[in-house]
Amino acid sequence: MSLDPVQVMKGQDPLPKTCPSASNGDSKASWDDNKDIHENVGSTKKPKPGPVRRARKVEGGIFFPKPENAVTIAVSSRVLFRTEKEQKVFEQKGIEEYLRYQVEHENEPFAPGPAFPFVKALEAVNSQLRKLYPDSEELFDIVLVTYNHAHVGIRLINTINYHNLFIERFCMTGGSSPIGYLKAWHTNLYLSADTEKVQEALAEGIAAATMFMSEKQIEVSETQLRVAFDGDAVLFSDESERIFKAHGLDKFFEHERENENTLLDHGPLKGFLEVLGKLQKKFYAKGHRLDCPIRTYLVTARSAASSGIRALKTLRAWGLETDEALFLAGAPKGPMLEKIRPHIYFDDQMFHVEGAVEMGAIAAHVPYGIAQKYPHKKSTNTGK
Amino acid sequence: MEDKKNYTGPLMIALQYNDLFDLDSISTSTDTDALPNGRAFTFIKAVQTVNERLVEQNKSDCLLFEVILISKECSEEIKMKVDESVKHYGLEIGKFFFCKKEELINTLQSNKVKLFLSTERDDVYEALHTGIPAALLYDQADDHVLNQLKVIFSGDVIGFSEDSLDGLSEFGFSETQIETIKTAKICMKEFAVLIGQMRRRFGQENSPLCTCVLTSWGSRNVCASALKTLREWGLDVDEAFCLAGAPCSPILAVVKPHILWDGGLLNMS
Repeated sequence: MSLDPVQVMKGQDPLPKTCPSASNGDSKASWDDNKDIHENVGSTKKPKPGPVRRARKVEGGIFFPKPENAVTIAVSSRVLFRTEKEQKVFEQKGIEEYLRYQVEHENEPFAPGPAFPFVKALEAVNSQLRKLYPDSEELFDIVLVTYNHAHVGIRLINTINYHNLFIERFCMTGGSSPIGYLKAWHTNLYLSADTEKVQEALAEGIAAATMFMSEKQIEVSETQLRVAFDGDAVLFSDESERIFKAHGLDKFFEHERENENTLLDHGPLKGFLEVLGKLQKKFYAKGHRLDCPIRTYLVTARSAASSGIRALKTLRAWGLETDEALFLAGAPKGPMLEKIRPHIYFDDQMFHVEGAVEMGAIAAHVPYGIAQKYPHKKSTNTGK
Repeated sequence: MEDKKNYTGPLMIALQYNDLFDLDSISTSTDTDALPNGRAFTFIKAVQTVNERLVEQNKSDCLLFEVILISKECSEEIKMKVDESVKHYGLEIGKFFFCKKEELINTLQSNKVKLFLSTERDDVYEALHTGIPAALLYDQADDHVLNQLKVIFSGDVIGFSEDSLDGLSEFGFSETQIETIKTAKICMKEFAVLIGQMRRRFGQENSPLCTCVLTSWGSRNVCASALKTLREWGLDVDEAFCLAGAPCSPILAVVKPHILWDGGLLNMS
């Protein structure tokens, strides 16, 4: 990818003369030059004269959903893009120098970060949803929620333009906590580089995870969104994990067997699996079960024959399912993830996340539950 | 830009007394109690904080806020009560004007008010329409915002090109509304330039003044255009929000501004 500086916007002309084709998988549509109102993105038709009440929909155009109707994914600038250099400037030289540096490099777009492939995949799903359900607001809505100052805003917007991302909503909070904004946007999933903020979000009941950049990156699909989840302390609560940590493997097996028919309590990512399932059903309804553009995976250290049964029964009781359930019985997760190639894999244990990232898989850490207090020791072998 | 030099302080802001004090609970019989706080209270306190910090840095700074009270004719008793209450709360009010509603615009113009603030949207748009800079005084209930004055500029008003603004008629905006929006951009400039000068007196952190851009309808490029224009005017804002049609109220409830420049464009549902 060449890194030509993006055309800088002029005050009077909100659109560059040579417009990048609208993203979101729709390469034929082009920006209508004068109407730089979001409703007209991708539309070459004139909107019907609406009533006095401002219409948010435009027939034939791409419009933006109401936050409560959409599946809102909030991403921070540090996971959507790579900003390591700038982070260093901030840490070593302070905020004034950091902002000066950002403004100086305003026309240099950032490179894609760990959440980038995930966001691109969400857009691919959206374009297919729009084809099947042109009037529906049940879409993915990506919002950039960043701690950054608005001084960095122009560089971020230039970067979004450069990469052809379909992101029109953002909050640059200038240093204030983003948590209030997450709620205001009805956020379904928050991705950030900052563990503290992610923990704050989890405490507020918002699914959240930390992402890390790796130098190695396995190629992922551009047409099918793949999301993988660990079981305990991610989809389910950490109750069983607590037993394991406190009393060991045997006690864990015993406990799971005795409680096979008791549902596990829900974990922080259950809600996200649920909304993915709702979107999947929309594809099924139009005959796209086999080639559904969303695919979900359960990747758990539990064993299929024993402790895994309780997990499956719980999912079934919740009315949820994953397309594939992989019971590793303690085997390392890396090779499995290499096969699956998820756009994102959620795990509560840093050890697994680091292992995955080392192999080039995109993994996100959910800092929830007992594993945060008692991190896995590399020397022991866990088998569940 | 050369005309920036012509913009000098003080930054005079006009308030209506019924925004400053809660007049619904006036009982004319008791004359010792001060009026209870109204919606502009936290605004005044925040403004005073900014002034204090400005003077701390430079005793002879003439770019300070000055607040004046303007209101409709009212009884002598109420005038006295207002006067007493202002003293009671230690509010720094420069002048008081009591005039008829028809004279409001003239009074604002003749006093070279740089900003007319009101919680009444109709009053704000009427003023804008005659070329007086006017913005909404956001209904600020939070007591925590006493130490920082927060100003939001509309990214739509500043960032949309003339042609795009005309295109708003297809979204249900009337001619008058569109004209008001265009005028708002012109009115905003002097205020933005002065706020920019003030903002630069403080560093990035611990500033008593916080400036924001909020784009309600425009795309991200409209927002970028607004950020660039404000920078040309000498103001680098601290926070930026782009809503792309999402309702403003939930976001505003988190931002908690005092001054909200919207020109009539905000989607407040």
